[in-house]
Amino acid sequence: MNCPSSSGGGAASVAAGGGRARSSATSVSVSGKRIQKDMMEFNINPPADCAAGPKGDSLYQWIATIIGPPELPYEGGIFFLDITFPPEYPFKPPKVVFKTRIYHCNVDSAGNPGLNILKDGWSPALTISKVLLAIRSIFTDPDPRNPLVPGIAHLYLTDRAKHDEVAAEWTMRFASLAA
Amino acid sequence: MLSSTQPQPQSQGTRRKKQCGSASVLMFKGNNLASRVFERQIRTPPPGTSVYSARRLYENLVPSCTIYDIECPDLSFRKFTDDGQFLVCFSRNHHDLIVYRPTWLSFSCKDEDCDSCDLPSKAKRFESFFTQLYCVSLASGNELICKDFFLYVENNKFGLFATSTAQIHDAPAIGGAIQGIPSIEKITFHLVRMEDGVILDVKVFSNDYLGHSMGVFLYDDLLAIVSLRYQTVHILQIRDSGNFVDVRGIGAFCREDDELFLNSHAQCMITLDKNKLRELPANHIENGTQQHRHIPGTFFLSGIKQRLFSFIFRGIWNEQKDHTMRVQCLKKKFYFHFQDYADLIILKVQFLDRHHLLIKFGSVEGAVSRSTDQHPAFFAVYNMETTEIIAFYQNSAEELYYLFERYCDHFHAASGNSLYMNFISFHSNNIHALEQLRNVKSKTSSFPQFVKKMLASLPFSCQSLSPSPYFDQSLFRFDEKLISATDRHRQSTDHPIKFISRRHPNLLRFKIKPGLGDEDIGNVLKDLGLFLHNASIMVASHQAYIGLDGSISVYLILKQLVICIEKCVSFFC
Repeated sequence: MNCPSSSGGGAASVAAGGGRARSSATSVSVSGKRIQKDMMEFNINPPADCAAGPKGDSLYQWIATIIGPPELPYEGGIFFLDITFPPEYPFKPPKVVFKTRIYHCNVDSAGNPGLNILKDGWSPALTISKVLLAIRSIFTDPDPRNPLVPGIAHLYLTDRAKHDEVAAEWTMRFASLAA
Repeated sequence: MLSSTQPQPQSQGTRRKKQCGSASVLMFKGNNLASRVFERQIRTPPPGTSVYSARRLYENLVPSCTIYDIECPDLSFRKFTDDGQFLVCFSRNHHDLIVYRPTWLSFSCKDEDCDSCDLPSKAKRFESFFTQLYCVSLASGNELICKDFFLYVENNKFGLFATSTAQIHDAPAIGGAIQGIPSIEKITFHLVRMEDGVILDVKVFSNDYLGHSMGVFLYDDLLAIVSLRYQTVHILQIRDSGNFVDVRGIGAFCREDDELFLNSHAQCMITLDKNKLRELPANHIENGTQQHRHIPGTFFLSGIKQRLFSFIFRGIWNEQKDHTMRVQCLKKKFYFHFQDYADLIILKVQFLDRHHLLIKFGSVEGAVSRSTDQHPAFFAVYNMETTEIIAFYQNSAEELYYLFERYCDHFHAASGNSLYMNFISFHSNNIHALEQLRNVKSKTSSFPQFVKKMLASLPFSCQSLSPSPYFDQSLFRFDEKLISATDRHRQSTDHPIKFISRRHPNLLRFKIKPGLGDEDIGNVLKDLGLFLHNASIMVASHQAYIGLDGSISVYLILKQLVICIEKCVSFFC
């Protein structure tokens, strides 16, 4: 409910902080503060089927987990992701990589998701929660028109049943608790 | 039948049985072998206890005589096979395998008073007890026999041996190898038919490192070999035909066809993905030239780690019902420690049954150093058929300790069908061993430390325990510091090793004097004793470093056995 307003506020304060960062070159603490703010927001209202947290003591290295949403070929899968925040965060997007294999037209063979908001579409107003929600949304709504793996996108468009069957097998073999 | 309906006859019946029972106890107490054999003939033991009563005969059949300074071949004695059929030895240069068959005694005493007369001179000869079956060369080139490694495939009477080249300590971690793990250029496993020494099959591991006792565990016909360097548990089957068959590799992938599945899909992805096409051939060449390292990229979690993390994650996730709370819990208990979990490597593996493996995870330092209990370690139970982690414990987990205390013999499952392995004394199946454990436990100052120490023995090394009845703690009591069922070298002492009867706590049944027969030899520098034993013969191999020429003596313990057997024979005739 109050998510948009709080993140909006965050963006405003960050914009000011960003000005300071550029002048004093102590952007690490600014990004650190912002990540902490993101974390607070995430902890209070974590998106469904998602969990995330910093790896050890570093605020900049996170691990996230997304549970494959039900009634999809990804159901039953537990997908681990690496999230790396750059020192320039939130002015540069975090780097997100799948650590679990996934059969998806928008995730390349090295596990990089093709999400516009993680590239040119990034805005400092976006938060960890938003990023995870966006990643979760590619499970439910793949974008075969802008694929990273055209073969999978092609199959998705021409033979959806076959695509789902293969994706489910990938999930079972490489992402689930047991095969 | 009758007694169950009529109370009066029942009590009479039990009384009669009791009298019978006490009579038999009296007979047993006499320790008279003839009466025991007679007893065995006329009385059916309670169901399921016939082996126990048969084993009790070993109270009578004890080694009572030690023959020192037997002239024996200059070999390094490895062990008797558990069925007592073969004595496995290696040549001193670690090139050849020499196998002997223990034979029954080839001499006897004919006099009335056997105890007082000297043994015939034949008794001093090694050949009087062992017949050499063959000598085959196992190691070729710059390989040497791994002298601590030998496994016996009892069903087929096959022997499994290993030869290897020297260890390279600072090997570069290439092709997906773990940094900090040494490398061995060539490790060869040899499957030998024990009857005639024919090498049936070999399995080679190149530029690999397999850890202590070659990281091998045998269960029936299934073999688990841990590659420390490439973090893969190779599951092999030993076929009746005498061949190794690769079943699966657990590590980067979990199921045997995962890699094939991935490659078949990757190819269809590559043909359509022009950008990736340029990058991949280089990787393919690398994968093709180096065996058993199918790591297409380091960015993904390995199959076993994905299963492990999923298990830990699910556990915490299901603990909490409220989503906000569970995210908090995951943050503290899982994500914070994620790197520690990610850094874990497979150290050792054993089978629990045909489908389940007990896997020890630990640090790279724990893999190389000898004192493993200093480093953090975890245990996972993994079902290799469903590829599921069933349980995961830290090495300080009391829950696992209590399971270990109660079901220790289940951890020692070496095979589903070798009966005598059920008689190895553990604290879970033997009251005396349990008492001993409780004693140690009560004396311990720190229980968590005690738990760690006890769990450090897991996973068990394969075939490391002798099923000899002389180590049956319900029959004999002995000092485990000096001798035990565990197959390992120990520092020998001058004190005789005493085997005391359990039923008569003051009765010394027999003793073994491990010291050299010649008491005058004072300049023994180092004396490493290794006791080898099968049910009837115990051999102590002593390597006494006296000057330059290490002299070796084999001691055999027999005399009373001879007499007992003679009596047995005459009794049955």
